[in-house]
Amino acid sequence: MTKPVTTTISAGSAVGEGEGATAVKVVSSLSKKMAEPGGLTVADIERRSKERLLSHKADAMRSVEAAVAELEQRVGVGADHPDEAFYLTASKMLDVAGFFDTGPLYDAGYSLCELLDVMQTSGQWNGDSVRVHVRALRMILNAGCETTPQSASLLSGLKALLDHARA
Amino acid sequence: MNKDDRVNLEHSSVLLIDDNQQALDMLGSVVQGFGVREQIKLTSATAAVKLLRERSVDLIIIDCADPEMDSYAFTRWLRRETPAPMKYTPVIMVTGHASQSKVREGRDCGVSFVVVKPITPNVLLKRVVWLAMDGREFIECPTYVGPDRRVRNFGPPMGEKGRRAGDLSAHIGIAKEANMEQADIDALLKPQKVQL
Repeated sequence: MTKPVTTTISAGSAVGEGEGATAVKVVSSLSKKMAEPGGLTVADIERRSKERLLSHKADAMRSVEAAVAELEQRVGVGADHPDEAFYLTASKMLDVAGFFDTGPLYDAGYSLCELLDVMQTSGQWNGDSVRVHVRALRMILNAGCETTPQSASLLSGLKALLDHARA
Repeated sequence: MNKDDRVNLEHSSVLLIDDNQQALDMLGSVVQGFGVREQIKLTSATAAVKLLRERSVDLIIIDCADPEMDSYAFTRWLRRETPAPMKYTPVIMVTGHASQSKVREGRDCGVSFVVVKPITPNVLLKRVVWLAMDGREFIECPTYVGPDRRVRNFGPPMGEKGRRAGDLSAHIGIAKEANMEQADIDALLKPQKVQL
């Protein structure tokens, strides 16, 4: 990495970093190494990465299935009181599902995370909204995560619940 | 990026941190597909702290919600507690859902880029290439350490005096063309004979 050039930001009243901040011009080792000749074409990279990623898909979908089952079990026990475990399970599911095109499943999972976050922040917990979300996740999963008029309708309903929680 | 463009990540070392082993393996496969020969995979940010005390890496990709040290705390540590040039290491934060309390933290912790899932290899590659060409300055001050959060420089806000030596007046804005040569400027100002 080359020696960075440092400049001191002059005093002023503008918002931001404030008086006395320094700005350093840096050329990272990543930039220097990527500038060397060689490497792979973008087309090759996309093909290689997609192939490698696809080898994980079956395991990933099993994990998603297990997460939805866990959410159903929690709802079955009771969803009428704030429970952080819902958010942890739902966000864990998103972490895995987010590597593949799971269409409406990802959107429904994201909606559930957002709902749980909004309810926990506001202190206004609504167990019915959680139950509807989990049921929607199951229906979408059983339908193969396909985008259909039914899944669009389900997502529209979840959005209405979310909007209501935000209001 | 065209399909025929070449991207060389063969010689770059990439540190991947994800507290979800399955997601870490998938991220590792994507990065392997990029042609990266040296990737280090860790399931906790605290393990990454130990590693970075011993050696440097060229790029860090992190998705960690571990309450002991999450992505935000790790990036703050990297930016504030490590010496240069390690503190300048590009950091891409990958996230599924970011809770409201974390949105501002994400902006202020000093990450180079936030990539929101769902991610595809193509999106991640674009961000890595963008970072390699990143011309932003690195800002250090009591309240923030990290890449300049202003990705586009439109100059200081209207009515405000710019704080950087190169800031132009807000009424002029950022230069769109190269500076004129002094000789050209002199020529414009030089009195000339007018033919009648």
